[in-house]
Amino acid sequence: MSEPAVLQIEEVEKRFGAVEAVKGISLEIAKGEFFALLGPSGSGKTTLLRILSGLETPNRGRVSIGGVEVTGLPPYLRRIGMVFQDFLLFPHRTVAENIIFPLRMQGMTPAQQKEQLDWILDFVHMVGLDERFPHQLSGGQKQRVALARGLVSRPELLLLDEPLANLDRELRKEMEVEVRRFQEELGIPFVYVTHNQEEALTMSDRVAVLYRGQIEQVGPKLEVYNQPATRFVASFVGAPNKMTGRVTACEAGRLEIDWDGLSLIAQAKEGMASGDLVEIYLKSERIALSVSQDSPQWEGGSENRLEGSVRDIIFKGQFADYLVRVGAGAELVVSAPPALPGIARGASVQLSWSDQAADVFKAPPGDGS
Amino acid sequence: MAAVNPGERSVIAAQTTLLLLLYLFLYFPIFYIGYLSLMENSVWPFPPIFTWEWYERLQIMSDFHVGLWNSFVIGSGTAVLSALFATAAAIGVLRYPLRHRGWMIGIFLAPLFVAQVLIGISTLMFNRNVLDIPGNIESAIIANTTYSLSFAFLVILAQLARYDWRLDEVAQVFGARPLRCFREVTFPNIWPAVLGAFLISFILGFNNFEITFYNVAAVPTLPTIAWGTLRHGIEPELYALATVVNLLVFVLLFAIYLLIRLGMLRLTLPEE
Amino acid sequence: MTAWQRLRFDPRARFAVLTVPGALFIILFLLLPLISIIVVSFWRTESYELIPDWNLDNYATVLGNWVYMKFLVRSLVMASAVSLICLVYVWPCAYLIAKHGGRYRLVLVLLTAAPFLTGILLRVTAMQQILGPIGLINMGLTSFGFAPIEVFMYTNVASAIGLVYLWIPFMLLAVYLSLLNFNFELLEVAKVCGARPWRAFLEVTWPLNWMGTSIGIVLVFIPTFAASVTPRFLGGPNGALFGNRLEHQFGATGTWALGSAMGVVMFAACLIVIGLVWRTINLRRVGFTGAGS
Repeated sequence: MSEPAVLQIEEVEKRFGAVEAVKGISLEIAKGEFFALLGPSGSGKTTLLRILSGLETPNRGRVSIGGVEVTGLPPYLRRIGMVFQDFLLFPHRTVAENIIFPLRMQGMTPAQQKEQLDWILDFVHMVGLDERFPHQLSGGQKQRVALARGLVSRPELLLLDEPLANLDRELRKEMEVEVRRFQEELGIPFVYVTHNQEEALTMSDRVAVLYRGQIEQVGPKLEVYNQPATRFVASFVGAPNKMTGRVTACEAGRLEIDWDGLSLIAQAKEGMASGDLVEIYLKSERIALSVSQDSPQWEGGSENRLEGSVRDIIFKGQFADYLVRVGAGAELVVSAPPALPGIARGASVQLSWSDQAADVFKAPPGDGS
Repeated sequence: MAAVNPGERSVIAAQTTLLLLLYLFLYFPIFYIGYLSLMENSVWPFPPIFTWEWYERLQIMSDFHVGLWNSFVIGSGTAVLSALFATAAAIGVLRYPLRHRGWMIGIFLAPLFVAQVLIGISTLMFNRNVLDIPGNIESAIIANTTYSLSFAFLVILAQLARYDWRLDEVAQVFGARPLRCFREVTFPNIWPAVLGAFLISFILGFNNFEITFYNVAAVPTLPTIAWGTLRHGIEPELYALATVVNLLVFVLLFAIYLLIRLGMLRLTLPEE
Repeated sequence: MTAWQRLRFDPRARFAVLTVPGALFIILFLLLPLISIIVVSFWRTESYELIPDWNLDNYATVLGNWVYMKFLVRSLVMASAVSLICLVYVWPCAYLIAKHGGRYRLVLVLLTAAPFLTGILLRVTAMQQILGPIGLINMGLTSFGFAPIEVFMYTNVASAIGLVYLWIPFMLLAVYLSLLNFNFELLEVAKVCGARPWRAFLEVTWPLNWMGTSIGIVLVFIPTFAASVTPRFLGGPNGALFGNRLEHQFGATGTWALGSAMGVVMFAACLIVIGLVWRTINLRRVGFTGAGS
């Protein structure tokens, strides 16, 4: 990172009774970053966010904002803004009053408040609606007001707790772009909690994937997407195909895996040996799809090739998901442009992908398949 | 529920203390009276000398049995009328969300904002001068119903608000006419609330003084007997009377509590 | 469909059938009697007979005479004081139950309401037994050689304590029900926006629960204002309130017309109080977004 860290989290732990919600997390977030905390429910991401805001105190560890340690400080003494999942606008205040609330708490004069209010209303495109009450606003408008309230005092950090979860699909797509724009134009670091990996990948610069209270992987989003470091990250990010098989041969960094009677090749990882049960995660856009050819089977080399038949095609607009049955009844999903010539329901097709395309991990113990 | 922060703990401790003191304040007199009713030296009952004397005297007190019976009648009459009107109104208000139903709710809550004394004297005047009927049990029942109807309405409303009216619609789709639907679908689900409202109205009518006093003239009820006794200075039989009434009330309230829990169970909702 | 059928199935008709009987009952037996005392208040009583001789004498007596107005003012002061005490005491209790009561919320609230149902007379008796000169506190003190607490014996303070004892459950219920529907998360929002705990309470909790609070105030104010039994037994010589004078007119003296006038004045005062409180409620500012919440 080229910029100095604005937010520093060191070995933060939090338990609720017997449950360890956050186990020893350390992170640094730089000034201009859009940082996503991605994980399923129960992964500790919301708890971590609440610790950052001061609404929870960690059992161990330290949090520093702008170089100043804030662990244990209540929220109203930190210079942060926050956007909540249910918007949580004050129902008894107008849009304008909601937005200037943080400014009033800071003791700004009415003239200063007005100035900041006008600026932020313009920034979030809500000019003219300042006298409305929250129940008179649409979902998207409420979201903008919540963002405005979080940003109006120009905090050092903005925390967002799944803010788009309650919006419908179309609105969400629109807001994803908007929120990203806000962050870029203001240069304030955003810490964005979500369980939606598409959202995280669309908006963020760096992503931390959380699972069961721990960080599975941290890094630039492309890196997290293309080079998952752990089995969980591979399975959670990108909606890949998952294949479970047994290693039949392992030499010179190359694995031969038996999957449901089919033979696959992939890159080996450290510690893998013949006889291991492994999980193969293959992103659907990395599989090439073509009409079956009568040319002789490819032997050896560094590509996987399978014959199959198209069971169904699910149209998704720019792309389509092709559900292809292979082998003895297994199925792979391939993402490709829709309406490929010669490929319709029932067609015989050939799938191919390189031996580097899949991410292979040892299956966790106790996994039956 | 969010976890409790350390700063909040002292606040909660203070609040708990206040609440406990409140319970003490509310219940200590009741227990003390119960204690007194069993003490021979009722003026200063220490050290305690146990006796049933006051309860025995209560039994032979003139008018006691008459008063008990009359109170019971008034309570029952009030309960029946209140439960009927309140149930019908609550169903009407919740099942048919018309625009101006707020006004109707307001009408049913109006009696709460009129002092009991006013209800008492106004019905007295009304009965005497307009309807030309003397004070009697019936007019006491009616006057009490006017007041307890609001309570009954609130009790049923609170429980009924969670009832899923689509059940009624389902019944209608399958051919049930309104009364049938009520009997077979609605009532079986809401009867705990109705019974609860019934019992509350009973208690209010049974124990009422200010409204009943102006309406029953010479007819004795338990509260008016107590009043008569009190005017001459306290007699220990009064403590026995009070304890008996308190016990009755608490037994009924416990029943109401069970009904409310049953009601919540029936509507298969998480506990509050 | 015939017109009759259309009517039968109309939800408005159904609504009317269910609610109108009860509403009529209330209007009949609440409103009409009230009207009748308004009417009677303009009449005269002579030797226990009401004579419809329309005049304003009764009102002149009640409103013009300091003797009567004194009681009115006393009642107002007493009612205001009792309402205030209940308000201040109830808020922390209701807050605790609503926010942290969990599964025991219902029990906790019902427990406070239970004593209310044992009837006013018995409760006042109980209070007398605790506060009075031969009551628990003072007898206890004297038997140990201490002086009795004068302020508890037949004073307005005792009356006030008795009235708080009677009506505090109403205030608790009203505030509690309001807090039940309050989203406590809004306080977290306020905190993050920089509000310290007390500020957050004043800016968020108090306004959003004002409607419940004000209903509680009214529910306590009105019976306290009209109180007659409590001041009679706890109040002592200076403790008589407006309600006592009112009751007097319907008792020994049989001056019903004057009594009715007093009743009307009392009712008018109550309506004014309700009106004033209603004016302070701006539905939007209370977070009220529509019935059926």
